[in-house]
Amino acid sequence: MILFFVASLLLSLTSGILLTFLFCPSLKSGAAGLAFRLFAGGGLGIGVTSCLYFVCLLTGLSCYSPAIDLGVCLLLGIPCFIFFRRPAAGGSQPLPETGKRSHFPILLAGIFSVELVASLGSFVFAFLKEPHGRWDAWLIWNMHARFLFRGGEHWRDAFASGLDWSHWDYPLLLPLSIARGWQYMGGEGLSIPAVMAFVFTFMTLGLLWCALSLLRSRIQGCLAAMVLMGTPFFIAMGASQFADVPLAFFILATLVLLSLQARSPENQPGELILAGLAAGLCAWTKNEGLLFLLIVTGSLFCTAVYARGWRSALNRTAGFLAGALPILLIVIYFKTQLSPANDLMAGFDPAAVAAKLTDFSRYAKIANAFFITGISFTHGLIDVRVGMHLNPGAVNILLLIGYLFLAGVRIDGRDRIGLLRSAAALGLMLIGYFFVYVLTPLDLGYHLVTSLNRLLLQLWPSVIFLCFMIAGSPETSPGDRPGTAPAQPETRSTRANEPRKTRGPK
Amino acid sequence: MTNLIAKYRATAGRLLLVVLTGYAVLNLLWQGVRSYPDLPGTDPVTIHETRIAQLRTVLPASGAVGYVTTVENDRIFAEEKTFTNVEFLAQYALTQYTLAPRIVRNSPEFPLVVGNFIDGPPAPGFLEKNGLVPLKDFGDGLVLYRREQKP
Repeated sequence: MILFFVASLLLSLTSGILLTFLFCPSLKSGAAGLAFRLFAGGGLGIGVTSCLYFVCLLTGLSCYSPAIDLGVCLLLGIPCFIFFRRPAAGGSQPLPETGKRSHFPILLAGIFSVELVASLGSFVFAFLKEPHGRWDAWLIWNMHARFLFRGGEHWRDAFASGLDWSHWDYPLLLPLSIARGWQYMGGEGLSIPAVMAFVFTFMTLGLLWCALSLLRSRIQGCLAAMVLMGTPFFIAMGASQFADVPLAFFILATLVLLSLQARSPENQPGELILAGLAAGLCAWTKNEGLLFLLIVTGSLFCTAVYARGWRSALNRTAGFLAGALPILLIVIYFKTQLSPANDLMAGFDPAAVAAKLTDFSRYAKIANAFFITGISFTHGLIDVRVGMHLNPGAVNILLLIGYLFLAGVRIDGRDRIGLLRSAAALGLMLIGYFFVYVLTPLDLGYHLVTSLNRLLLQLWPSVIFLCFMIAGSPETSPGDRPGTAPAQPETRSTRANEPRKTRGPK
Repeated sequence: MTNLIAKYRATAGRLLLVVLTGYAVLNLLWQGVRSYPDLPGTDPVTIHETRIAQLRTVLPASGAVGYVTTVENDRIFAEEKTFTNVEFLAQYALTQYTLAPRIVRNSPEFPLVVGNFIDGPPAPGFLEKNGLVPLKDFGDGLVLYRREQKP
């Protein structure tokens, strides 16, 4: 039975990896490039196959899901095979020696490996303690998966069941991925939700590591991944089987792909399309993802207008939205045809909204919670009855600030606009979350204590990514090496439309 | 000289990260190792699920059933909102989690009603007031009721 689940996971991962070959053909940088295809592509593949499974459910073809997945894999595989049959001119070149050899990378790789094994161990212990996951896992995500799988032809009934406390308006990426695994297996397995949680937790780590290895250096990649591994709340939430870590993964994937796009030859649109796909999958993972999709699209458009002018901005935004569109259509169908009203939006009353917007005590309370939780959330799970109190732990935002202070800030000219865009997106997400709390119809204290740390965790891997993108590093940026694509600085002064010779596939 | 200072600062930054992340990772692992011997043989969710799963054999495969517990139904959510007692909501949610795709409604006004009294019996007269007649007692506080129409 477990072999069938492995097959389902492999098909998902393969679909995504093939997508990266199709849309990012010029991405070649040895192990980090391949790892990027595995981690970023793998996550995208899981998201895409969850959408396919949703379409199968809608059309009553869920029992043919394996055949359809296989067909999609073959469909993606054929052009990849044709494009990549011949090796690229020049083949892969060895990385250049960058000055004097140092023992530090080897030492760091050793420490990284120890931390990785320890994190795996921590995840396993958390799973053994709570194999069904924590509260929200069985109250929402795994419960939805059970309804989708056990409901058979009547799977839609759950959405009209009136069980509002289980939040049936929440998007379905995670429940569908679990139900799809059970469909392949022909029965339910307790370990499948945990395996999905494991995959997303460690793919987020892997994506952070390989993205920074590609864009900065392996040392920066290792250090960033170590910060994420050293975040007890990240490992705990991963093992808790919540959708916050998958959302964190897709937010990170969006920002990484946008950063890679700035470095791609001729600013090819492939990475943009995949970034759009990742942003769309954010909206298919959690409702907060809809806000992210809106914000990142706006940030992309505004920064492109600033750097390259209106026409280029429109082209880029269109490419990004083209990637998001298939997923967005599914989300729109789900929200309009199946999902009940969201508890935060139900009973929307303009008078109550105006009263809350002008109640400045709410702002003070929320700002205080943002400050305390912002410093302390990384430390681990909290007792909601006690609430969040100032307890920074060893790894937190202050550590990143301290690291930046010591290492200094060095921004690659090619990344300037991309970093501005990512920082704007993350900042606007925080502002968006702030106003969700200002307007919440729920008891403010209850809402803050039960959700704020998770919301901040969703952005945490991206914050680490951003920090290590700007941190000073004595190593040469791999983007400068032969074997990776030449890039244009993303500024208005470059001649963006002028064709350039590149080493991409024929 | 400036380069040398910058180099030492960068090294200090890396050391700081390595030491603190190492401490955090190993501390988390140590907490897991330390708590492992104290873990119960079976986790509470599985225990609850095993209890409730007995109902599957006697309930119809789909449709809605009612639910009653130690406290009145409206207090299940009210006590969770104030964090007075989250157990009643957890027990209700786990009953739904186990019995899916049947719908478990937080109300006694259904022909079949699940009674989950792991935290003690309901207030005297509650069952009679709602016309609940025991259909099958599974033990350990789990009872299936039939609701009699009031005259």
